[in-house]
Amino acid sequence: MDKQGRGLAETVWTRLDRKAGAITELTIRQLRHRLSTWVVLAVGTLLLMSLLAMFIAGVRGGWEPIDNDGDSHDWDQDGYPAGQEFKYGSDPYDGFSFPGSGFFVQEGSFEWGSVGLYSGNHTWRYATGIFTYTWLDDSQIGGEEIIEVGSLKSCPEGELFEDFWIDWGDGCRMDVNRIAVHEASFVGNGTFRVQEGFYAEWGHFEDTFYVEPEPASNYIDEDDIDWTGDPNGINGFDDDGDCLRIGWPEDTEPDFWWGWDDRHQPDRNGNGIPCDVAWISDSSGNIIQINPDDNVDEDPSEESLAYEDAHRAFIIGTGKIAFVMILGIFLPLFLSLGLVRDETENGTLHYLLSKPIHRGEFITYRILGYLIISGGFVLIMSLLMGLVTASLGPGDSIFRLNDMILWFGIAFATILALAAYGAIFNTLGLLSSRYGVYIALVIGVYEFVMAVLTLGGATLIPVLSVSHWTLQLIDSIVLIVWPNTIEMHLIATAFDLPSGIRAFWNPPVHTLGTDNPFISGLISVVVLLLITTMMILFGQAQFKRREIM
Amino acid sequence: MSTKATPAVLLEKCSKWYGQVIGINDISLAIDGGVTGILGPNGAGKSTLFKLLMGRLKPSSGNVRLFGVDPWVSTSPYRRVGYVAETEKLYDWMTGHDFVSTLARLHGMTREEASERASHVLDFVGLGDVENKEIGKYSKGMRQRIKIAHALVHDPDLIILDEPLHGCDPIARTSIMSVIRDLGSQGKTVLVSSHILDEIERITEQIVILHNGRLLALGNLHAIRDLLDKHPHRILIRTENPRKLAEYFVTEDPVYGVRFAGEEALEVLTNDLSAAHNVLPRVIVDSGLKVTSIENPDDNLEALLRYLVGGAS
Repeated sequence: MDKQGRGLAETVWTRLDRKAGAITELTIRQLRHRLSTWVVLAVGTLLLMSLLAMFIAGVRGGWEPIDNDGDSHDWDQDGYPAGQEFKYGSDPYDGFSFPGSGFFVQEGSFEWGSVGLYSGNHTWRYATGIFTYTWLDDSQIGGEEIIEVGSLKSCPEGELFEDFWIDWGDGCRMDVNRIAVHEASFVGNGTFRVQEGFYAEWGHFEDTFYVEPEPASNYIDEDDIDWTGDPNGINGFDDDGDCLRIGWPEDTEPDFWWGWDDRHQPDRNGNGIPCDVAWISDSSGNIIQINPDDNVDEDPSEESLAYEDAHRAFIIGTGKIAFVMILGIFLPLFLSLGLVRDETENGTLHYLLSKPIHRGEFITYRILGYLIISGGFVLIMSLLMGLVTASLGPGDSIFRLNDMILWFGIAFATILALAAYGAIFNTLGLLSSRYGVYIALVIGVYEFVMAVLTLGGATLIPVLSVSHWTLQLIDSIVLIVWPNTIEMHLIATAFDLPSGIRAFWNPPVHTLGTDNPFISGLISVVVLLLITTMMILFGQAQFKRREIM
Repeated sequence: MSTKATPAVLLEKCSKWYGQVIGINDISLAIDGGVTGILGPNGAGKSTLFKLLMGRLKPSSGNVRLFGVDPWVSTSPYRRVGYVAETEKLYDWMTGHDFVSTLARLHGMTREEASERASHVLDFVGLGDVENKEIGKYSKGMRQRIKIAHALVHDPDLIILDEPLHGCDPIARTSIMSVIRDLGSQGKTVLVSSHILDEIERITEQIVILHNGRLLALGNLHAIRDLLDKHPHRILIRTENPRKLAEYFVTEDPVYGVRFAGEEALEVLTNDLSAAHNVLPRVIVDSGLKVTSIENPDDNLEALLRYLVGGAS
């Protein structure tokens, strides 16, 4: 008890608390009176609002089904989707090769590099030169690149390949009944003059028959993921039959279209069951790997997976890039660099330091004040983002509470980054009032690059950065809030689906071998706090020794 | 912590160099109670001395103690110290009351205590009626006074004022001087620095004179002043007819010579300034001449220093 009869708690702790309150409050009020604070907060708000606008526009625009395996597209514009061409063994990139197109019988060709003319009514293929015709089949013209007779442009004046050039697989009209072509195919009656140094062949198709073209929609979302939930059961089913080749014409040449890829393997995963998907789990039942056979579950419906994937990717991407990498680095650059430096330069530090307050405490409370402004901003923004995404996100629930929890996690991680960067930049401002800002900019760029590397999945070099640990903290929180994200990540990787989660999320790496997101999250928090504390202590040591003029 | 035996301010063989430049050189000093003027021309080491006392600088050699504690190591003496720095920057966006009460809270006061104390000291320095105005709108004199107010808010035992009258108009000067005198009469230890002798003279008799970082003189200003007065002095009198006035002066005892300084001015030379001033009114009345001004060009710090330095050498 002192002479006023106050206890130790009253005299020491409350006084400390009051000083902390006063400096923190002063710092907040100072930042509030600076234009640069408002500018950087306004720019941050603008950035997040435009992201939110994009999100709302995306939700309002609805969801178009995606052809994940690309087989609904008619690449060669012969009227048949690629999937139907695969079924019939025709070349999806050759307009002359389509279901029922038969086979080409070559009647003759120009020797490579020869010069000459040939006349007649033929199918001309791989032809480069000039064709003067009396008749041209305008439904059958093209090649590996497509030429539409009706829309052929006029050739420029001069000689082909001397005065003008035509793209590979393209052509142009030289006259009413004359076209120039480059590696193209067409049907017509006339005289072909081959270009010197190039090639052409002629002949006709035999054994043609008619096949009704299927609509492209038959090849969209045609093979959904069939997952029983039991890794020991039989999973995966070839809904569209392109693995088992059920209902395919018997004479389809096997593996015609896989020619440039490796061969079709109905049991690629080697589990003895053709056309299934092996879901491999660890001892505790977590899926750790997915091995599909070729063409099984390769084009799932977006309802079940992609919509949720995109929604999560938006939150994770915004959290990592907008919050951590942009706000997390720029707010401290603008707000923390001058926390103590500016007071020293202005001379106003003398008022504060003539009070019974340690210089070390002073630094800590200044950083606290800056954190309340910057962290408060981040918290409000994440709350706003959370309210919108939780209300508009996919799923049956009216409000996705987990979204909200994740946004708070993102805010928490960002605030830890703000603290670490704040401590680093403030110390830099103390070390060198003149060059501190440049060093801080270099560190800012470095941190950004490390963050990009971390996003890309690098785990070694970025360990020496604040951003790496912050991003891993977000990765960990994502996995805690949405444990099945790791499955979605595996599914997207296994079936090669376009996935935002794959782009923005990586399974946490620093789990001490436990694969437990709580461990990696805790380690990240500890590392970030350690960096902050060490930088504050370093700044305090510097400031304590500093003579103030 | 401090007892009667430990003076408020103590310097023992204290020196401070800035690289090759000397700030203060081998100063030993103990001050306790009353108002002490720290006199010295610009660059004499006044601010260095204060910054050493306030723990801003670390002495290159020797010791500094505030109430027996080394201020470079501990901030505890600041509970009993108020410091008015030379800096002219303030938080212009704050009101006067805000500024003082915010800084008061750094002494561990509650918001209410701080607000109450702030109002009290603002009244004391005469800013009570403008305490809710922004500091940016304050005049120079008001800004100096708000700095004094913040230094007084915790009722310190020792108040250190670095050039508090610098740049103030005469009215502000008078009011600040009276504040300082009041503090002295309240029994506080006050250190006030200035490079203008006249200012200090109006505040206190106890002075410390610094010159080129050295302690040149310490003690009662009048004693020093008496020494100075026995030194050759000039009195510059502006009058319509200096030649006629000269005739009256040459017969006077304290005057050993006269000089004409232009058409309308007379320089009276004396070895005893106060004696000369004693006869001055009578002589002027006797002469019946109109006198427009009387100046003592040698009665300033520079002359005092010249004398002291000359006397020392």
